[in-house]
Amino acid sequence: MTEKKHKQIFVQGAISSAFIADSIQKHSTKTNIGAHSIFLGQVRSDSINDRKVVAIDYTTYEEMALEKMHELREGIFAKYPLTCMHIYHSLGTIAAGELCLFVFTSSIHRKEAIDACEEVVELIKKELPVWGKEIFEDESYQWKENK
Amino acid sequence: MAIEIKAFGLLADITGSDFSVIEQRDTDSLRQLLAERYPALSTIHYAIAIDKKIVSGNTLINETSSVALLPPFSGG
Repeated sequence: MTEKKHKQIFVQGAISSAFIADSIQKHSTKTNIGAHSIFLGQVRSDSINDRKVVAIDYTTYEEMALEKMHELREGIFAKYPLTCMHIYHSLGTIAAGELCLFVFTSSIHRKEAIDACEEVVELIKKELPVWGKEIFEDESYQWKENK
Repeated sequence: MAIEIKAFGLLADITGSDFSVIEQRDTDSLRQLLAERYPALSTIHYAIAIDKKIVSGNTLINETSSVALLPPFSGG
């Protein structure tokens, strides 16, 4: 069986605001776009039993995640008339306050971009094999569970 | 026949991230073996993926299958 090469969504480390600004800028040549919708996931410093989360360490089953993301992407494009969609998810240790997920959808009119963006964020949380380990100040940790 | 298994997240803490088992031909017998070998697993809900697809119900495992143990996802 030959492995199909799927589009990479994972980046090592946090997603910088400069990277996001660049991504937006790159769309200025696509003049049929009338609306962008962007979701940014930020690592939250939860307090769990008086211990504060200082970072989340993300790992994935990459081969499966990329295959799954390819399926999700096809489903989204079949459902919504998008001009384009870009997804970046961090791996490794991301400090509280840093960005770990960037979802960017574009369409001719706003509704499709907004709805597709929301739906794909929900699907990413529910269906992508990615795990976050919440790291506390004293370097102890616990595995996160999505609600 | 030896089957290579990958484990992720919380499960990798318990079993190690790569290990192999012998003579487990379906997912039910694999779950049973893992429960005996790693008692801590009994309280953890996890899915099994074969060739990168999550399986439901008892599923046959081939020697060439890639088998993965997946705890609940927490990406994003």
